[in-house]
Amino acid sequence: MKYRVFVVDDEPDVVDLLRTILETGGHAVEVATDPQLALSQLLDDPPDLLILDLMMPQLDGFELLKLFRQDHRGASVPVLILSARSGHRDQILSLQCGADAYICKPFSPRHLLAEVDKLLEISVGKSGD
Amino acid sequence: MATIAMVSVVAVGVVLTIPRYLRERDMMEAGAVTYASLVVQQVAHSANLYRTTGRHILDRRVGELMALNPDLVRLEVVHVGGEIVLQADVSGALTLAEQGQAQRTEDPETLRMIQSLKIEARRVRDSSGQMLYQVVAPAVEEWGRRTYSLVAYFGYDRVDRELLHSVLVVGSFLAVALFLARRAAVFLAGSITANIERLRDGVGRIREGHLDERVKIDSHDEVEELAAAFNAMADTMADTIQRLRETYRELEVLDQTKADVIANVSHELKTPLTALRGYLELLAQGDLGQLTDEAARSVSVCRKNLRRLDLRIEELVQLSQWERRVDVTGPSEEVHLGHLLHGVVETLLPSLEEKGVYCSLNLATDLPPVVGNSGQVEQVFFNLLGNAGKFTSAGGSIRVTAEPRSRDDQRGVLVQVEDSGIGIPKNALLRIFDRFYQVDPSTRRKYGGMGLGLALVQSIMEAHRGAIWVESVEGKGSTFSVWFPLRPSDSGSGAFSLRRRTDPDTMRSEGQRGQENQ
Repeated sequence: MKYRVFVVDDEPDVVDLLRTILETGGHAVEVATDPQLALSQLLDDPPDLLILDLMMPQLDGFELLKLFRQDHRGASVPVLILSARSGHRDQILSLQCGADAYICKPFSPRHLLAEVDKLLEISVGKSGD
Repeated sequence: MATIAMVSVVAVGVVLTIPRYLRERDMMEAGAVTYASLVVQQVAHSANLYRTTGRHILDRRVGELMALNPDLVRLEVVHVGGEIVLQADVSGALTLAEQGQAQRTEDPETLRMIQSLKIEARRVRDSSGQMLYQVVAPAVEEWGRRTYSLVAYFGYDRVDRELLHSVLVVGSFLAVALFLARRAAVFLAGSITANIERLRDGVGRIREGHLDERVKIDSHDEVEELAAAFNAMADTMADTIQRLRETYRELEVLDQTKADVIANVSHELKTPLTALRGYLELLAQGDLGQLTDEAARSVSVCRKNLRRLDLRIEELVQLSQWERRVDVTGPSEEVHLGHLLHGVVETLLPSLEEKGVYCSLNLATDLPPVVGNSGQVEQVFFNLLGNAGKFTSAGGSIRVTAEPRSRDDQRGVLVQVEDSGIGIPKNALLRIFDRFYQVDPSTRRKYGGMGLGLALVQSIMEAHRGAIWVESVEGKGSTFSVWFPLRPSDSGSGAFSLRRRTDPDTMRSEGQRGQENQ
């Protein structure tokens, strides 16, 4: 079964890379480079998994994550944070804001795919109960 | 001026009369004690006579004594139990208590003095409120069965007269002073005291942190000048503190800005790296089509260099964080050094083998866990092993050991990374922990790295209250030793130490190095 993965990152090249990797991994990919527009899209039609960048000029990834989690439609969607910041503080803060996983940039495509598959498996397993 | 004159006059009066008064009093007390002991001996002797010859001899003796000493107003012979055996007063009346009918001394202090069996004197008031000297001296019966003390009371009249004299002298001086100063001395003294108290309160308020506290005194004298000087000092102090606070705030902002800049720079550098690394790996994995051998090799070189670039950026970011001492103590958890070392060696082994460097890991079986931040400790091992690998050429070897080791009576774990690499010249040993230091300016080209690795290691060891030192012989190799305490001590006094050794004799000498670490 194809899963819908939504990518929010302000960097078009990174978005393209993610699309390539995820499609290679057999997922359907939707992307947004503007986090403000992304929120309404996300809530209108919640994906199976959200991949979110932290440092974005229009809207901080933490803020987007908080708003997404506050809404019941975004409460149970697994979220993977993808950030250039490698400090413990951001990782902890992300998890506190409701993220499920944290991967530092630059990342290994295989690592990312493995993490995505794991999160989807857990999430689907849960909703299947 | 008037104030000064008056104060001096009063002071002179006091200085003249008080010592005299004190001297007189001391002399009287000393005299009274000596005198009392003489009287006691006489009375004791008389008491013995009384037993053999009858009452009249004692009677006469006491009467003589009283007549000879006008200051002696009352005399008592008291048994240590408190019974007053004999009483004589200034009128010459002598009372001898019959056996079993004696009055008792009730005053506890007098009883104590009697029982102490030493000559003691003090001032007391009698029942009519008159001040008396009470002198107590022991008088022991010759055969020593019953013990008595003599309690003598001397008049205080002479002392009173001296006192009155002093008061009159001081009073007359005061009167003159008052006349001269046309001011009430008492009022003036009071106002000086009050002003000084206000000053004292002002100092106290400043000490409590109320830096805007100032003291206003209009006494047109030295106290007012003192207050003005105090206020000026407080102004200067407040200014300085204000400037220091501003500087501190500016530095804080600057520090934050620096951290932000580095965070942004790292973001700016890492974002392009992300796309590069991702696509290169997809290429290498063949996900984007099969590569020719030549192309695969090129991609591999690109990936290796990209990895280096990424590591350097990471080093830079981490060092800026250590520098800010943020998160330095980190979350404290149990860290199993053995596990970490295994992981690090495993990770680095492929590249070492590729280079032709042999690496061995010897862990003591009884390694206790230490408390620390595993991410940071892992970084230490990565950097030390990375360096060892970097500076050891093909055919060389790296030996990693870990064992329990106490240092300054503190239990801990010692990890050593020994290589057979190029070694460190003596003059460079002192600087290798400095940031951006490279032993040889060409090092950067030849071996890579930014000279941050050891600085980072040192910061981490410092944060863990551990120790780091290095022994090296140029051309033969280096041994880096890091020591972790089982528990980071709270005091931290001298807990961190950095030692560098160049002595070739200690090189590769396990025993001596062992002593060195005690």
